[in-house]
Amino acid sequence: MAWILRNLWLIPALPTLAAGISALLPQRRRAMSAGLAIGSMSLSLLLALCAFAHTLAEPARQVFNFRWMQFGAEWVSLGWVLDPLTAVMLVMVTFVGLLIFLFSVGYMAHDENFTRFFCFLSLFSGAMLGVVIANSLLLLFMCWEIVGLTSYLLIGFWYQRPSAAAAAKKAFITTRIGDLGLLLGMVWLYGQTGTLLFYDHGAGCMEHGALSLLTAQTTSIGMAVSTAIGLLIFCGAVGKSGQVPLHVWLPDAMEGPTPVSALIHAATMVAAGVFLVARTYPLMSASLPDAASAATTALQVIAWVGAITAVFAALIAVAQNDIKRILAYSTVSQLGYMMLGLGVGGVAVGMFHLITHAFFKALLFLGAGSVIHGCSDEQDIRRMGGLRRWMPVTFATYAAGMLALCGFPLFAGFWSKDEILHAAHGWSISQGPFYLGAFGALLTAFYMTRQVCYVFFGRYRSGAAHTADAQHAHGHDHAAHAASKPHESPAVMTVPLTILAVFAVLLGFAGTPAWPWFASFLGGEPLSLDFRRFAENGILPLMLASSLIVIAGLALGWWLYGRKPVEDADAPDVLERAQPGIFHALQNRLYVDEFYSWTIIRLARWGAVLSDWLDRRVWNGVVQLVAWTVRACGWFDASVDSYVVNAGFDESCRGVSGSGRFFSMLQNGQVQRYLRTVGIALAVLMVLLLWSRRG
Amino acid sequence: MSGVSYFALLRLTLPQIALALGAFLTLTLDLTVLRRRAQSTRFLAGALTACCGCVAAMLLLACASGQQTLFDGMMVANPLTRLIQMALAAFAILAVLLSVSSQFTRHVGEYLSLILFATVAMMFLAGTQNLLLIFISLEFLSLSLYILTGFSKRSRASAEAALKYFLFGGMSAGFLLFGMSLLYGLTGSINLMQIAAALGGPALDPLLLAAIVMVVIGFGFKVAAAPFHLWAPDAYQGAPTPSAAFIASSSKIASFFIFAQVMMLGLAGAAGSAGWQSYSSGWVMVIAIVAAVSMLLGNLAAIAQTSVRRLLAYSAIGHAGYMLLGLAAHTQQSLEALIYYVLTYALAAMGAFGVLGALEAEGVDELKSLGGLSRRAPVLSFCMFVFLLSLAGIPPLAGFFGKFYVFVEAFRAGSGELLWLVLLAIATSAVSLYYYLRVLKQIYVVQPEADAAEAIHTPLLHRAVLCVMAALVVLLGCAPHLLLQWIGQAMR
Repeated sequence: MAWILRNLWLIPALPTLAAGISALLPQRRRAMSAGLAIGSMSLSLLLALCAFAHTLAEPARQVFNFRWMQFGAEWVSLGWVLDPLTAVMLVMVTFVGLLIFLFSVGYMAHDENFTRFFCFLSLFSGAMLGVVIANSLLLLFMCWEIVGLTSYLLIGFWYQRPSAAAAAKKAFITTRIGDLGLLLGMVWLYGQTGTLLFYDHGAGCMEHGALSLLTAQTTSIGMAVSTAIGLLIFCGAVGKSGQVPLHVWLPDAMEGPTPVSALIHAATMVAAGVFLVARTYPLMSASLPDAASAATTALQVIAWVGAITAVFAALIAVAQNDIKRILAYSTVSQLGYMMLGLGVGGVAVGMFHLITHAFFKALLFLGAGSVIHGCSDEQDIRRMGGLRRWMPVTFATYAAGMLALCGFPLFAGFWSKDEILHAAHGWSISQGPFYLGAFGALLTAFYMTRQVCYVFFGRYRSGAAHTADAQHAHGHDHAAHAASKPHESPAVMTVPLTILAVFAVLLGFAGTPAWPWFASFLGGEPLSLDFRRFAENGILPLMLASSLIVIAGLALGWWLYGRKPVEDADAPDVLERAQPGIFHALQNRLYVDEFYSWTIIRLARWGAVLSDWLDRRVWNGVVQLVAWTVRACGWFDASVDSYVVNAGFDESCRGVSGSGRFFSMLQNGQVQRYLRTVGIALAVLMVLLLWSRRG
Repeated sequence: MSGVSYFALLRLTLPQIALALGAFLTLTLDLTVLRRRAQSTRFLAGALTACCGCVAAMLLLACASGQQTLFDGMMVANPLTRLIQMALAAFAILAVLLSVSSQFTRHVGEYLSLILFATVAMMFLAGTQNLLLIFISLEFLSLSLYILTGFSKRSRASAEAALKYFLFGGMSAGFLLFGMSLLYGLTGSINLMQIAAALGGPALDPLLLAAIVMVVIGFGFKVAAAPFHLWAPDAYQGAPTPSAAFIASSSKIASFFIFAQVMMLGLAGAAGSAGWQSYSSGWVMVIAIVAAVSMLLGNLAAIAQTSVRRLLAYSAIGHAGYMLLGLAAHTQQSLEALIYYVLTYALAAMGAFGVLGALEAEGVDELKSLGGLSRRAPVLSFCMFVFLLSLAGIPPLAGFFGKFYVFVEAFRAGSGELLWLVLLAIATSAVSLYYYLRVLKQIYVVQPEADAAEAIHTPLLHRAVLCVMAALVVLLGCAPHLLLQWIGQAMR
């Protein structure tokens, strides 16, 4: 089975190859490009399953490193690693990715740039899988950047819409700020340890030797070097995973096609930040052996950022009206939970939520896509309503996803979120993150209930007038005319929904307190089924409490929105009537974007104006001056050559009409003058040589 | 001295003999069998026989191995000389093929055989360490080149150029011979190794200095280094294009190689140094001055040219300056870099002249008349694009690595004492980009003139040869080690 380790590179290579081929295909070869993407993804899924089976049999970490290039005396190595973390992520990404590919075939069926879409999707998958298998921070960073690029390309897929183009730019630039931190951390790490390989038989930067070196040193502000590097790397994760304060791009990213939102901005790419922290967890948690607390500064920062993000985004989600935006803020919030889990509980806690979340959030997004598709591209939940009659499959699956997201008992999200809350409860530093997390759970249940009530219950509130302005560049505007009533989506879209729904319900049982398979698989510990564990460590009371919180949130949502269905699409929200000030603040995303545009962006503008002025007035002048000087020299030199030396010959060349005159021209002295130059050169060189010999 | 081994001599000179036989055969066939045929048939058949001669010479060279020295260094054969000789034969093939479609002469046999004779001379030049044979081969080469320059008998410019080349060449041959005679007088030998042995010792005789300057002038003329370059612009412009291509490439290779041999082997003890503040008398100093003047004058004067051929001529002077920089460094590595440079330069220069040759029929020579060429002749334009950018030293083309290696080796030699010259070289090569791009701008950006809009037809063979050369330039740029390894092996 060692061949799977040697050939692990095939998993990212196949989708990348598919992307390369379909980039060369003409636009009309739609079936071929979709087939390539889906075929390569299926193969990757098969290989990923092989890898998964391999790690099940042999959970020890295995690496394959190779030398890439040399600079100076040092070699830069790249490589890949096969361990449970990789295997789980591989299966998740390929599986969810494959389902979303299938869904896209239906969703993008009418788009004229179908081929391009699948090219980008495949490229994304390849790069994401590269991030997952990378055993070198450098390789991870390269794939990370390609992932960022494809995210940019896909958010701006409908680039004709200015909002999509702006959102793409925003996503790219915002994540780039985080990536700068990651790059700095990477360079620093390399400078300190001389390697970027995570694991290299004891010589990697995540292994004991390098870590004890890093923790032993302190920076000028008294922080351990390992912590400082860890925080810089975490900056990258903050950008990619939309943590406060760099979360602003993720909701705007919903301008992209819905499968993209599902795949990239819910299930996989945004989780890359969480994955990065999990991958570098040894660095984040490295502390001196005699340190008093197990929680390093880096982990504390991660936990707090995660907790604050979880609540912050959940609050904003309460007041949004766009179906995808609500889900986007919910994603930000859930990513916060994952970070919190990593910060307080370790890799298994955060990663378990990542995996379950990937399934049910992909489900929710695809469900939202199905709703949007069925409602002729309407995205405003106030203009939907009563859809459960027309779209029963979508409704059922969406409800499953929603309950999983809320953490309703026995659904997938329940187990994973509960584990996070339990770990936060037992955190030795502070109880703050726990209370924030619990409050976030309440909000989650509330806003999801609000959304479901708006979308699936009550009366269908969309008139013919609204379909007209809801047509955008999506391409199936003819469908909008044909069906003013909502309709259920085709099987190619509902089948993935159903499969994902099954996982959203069942996946949580892989990590219950009684049977913590996931944690033991990642940690390599023995596994046993033991129901007594529910009673230990106050797990059961905590579960009851969190169930109560969830039910309270659901009940509150139902009481406000479900009891008396919303009748008029333009009527103000219930909460808006009660607390207009707070509601508007939340609806405007707590003015974070405005704050940024008044501070950072304005500052950048000023800087740009200043640089522009400097460039035009100062540097350009200097460059021009140099250019003119060189040109003047050239002209001077050329005129010496052609007017002093060559002029006679050139003149006479034109005048020559017979060989007789040619000879007379020669006698006029041109060649003599040439030869005289040689004579002068001879004299000058001789004098120089003799003079320097004397000196 | 033991008896002369004629067999060894025969074996050593077999490639030259094969080439000379090829030349005679070409001449004979053309004057007898092919006399009344069409021009194109004569050229094709002649080129075929000439190429056969070259290929035979190359095969013989490829089969030979080992090191041999005959007659006190008069005939030398080692892997390095064989490499150079093979390159010369290859360039002769290219020159022959590029001249097949030209119209300037009816004396096909003479023309082709002269190219081969010149190549024979260059092969002798590359394979000797004896001043006498060096001089004789140089004269043999020069005579062939004078004729090739003036071969376009109906063109006055051609005749003028040839006469000027001849007069200039005659005088510089005088200088060279005088320098050599001084060397002989000082050391009592005409063998480079023995001269070096006799010269050993730091004290520099003023007579030796005079000899050095004379020799540098003599070779400086051959390699068109300033201020001995004055013939070059006129010759490049006036000569028939295939001749110009040949002069700009093959003769550069041979001349630079023997220049380096004479200086680095024969005058090894009189090198001196050319540091900015720490100069001391010797040939390195002379070379450094000549290199600096060449780089400045060649590159700056090229800016002001309006004729593409004159532009290429001045750029050749600039390139001679860079190559002299490699010579001034005078280490084994810099010689390696110099050979790489001169080979890749010759390839690109011959290619550029080949493109101009294809356009000759259209009367394209002025920079202005190149306007919009990319639409009239896309293949030729692209080849020109590759050649010129290689000459300018843009990666990933061969010229970039040539410059890079030469500059690096010059910088390394003598613990960075040539830094000032390297900086000057880098600055002037930045300038050179300007005039190369001016040509390319005409080709790719400017609209064609109103009266010249129709497509230009070029014979297939000509285009194919140019494409192969362009591909080689790209290949050597992407994988410079292919050639470098070969050179390196030959030098060890």
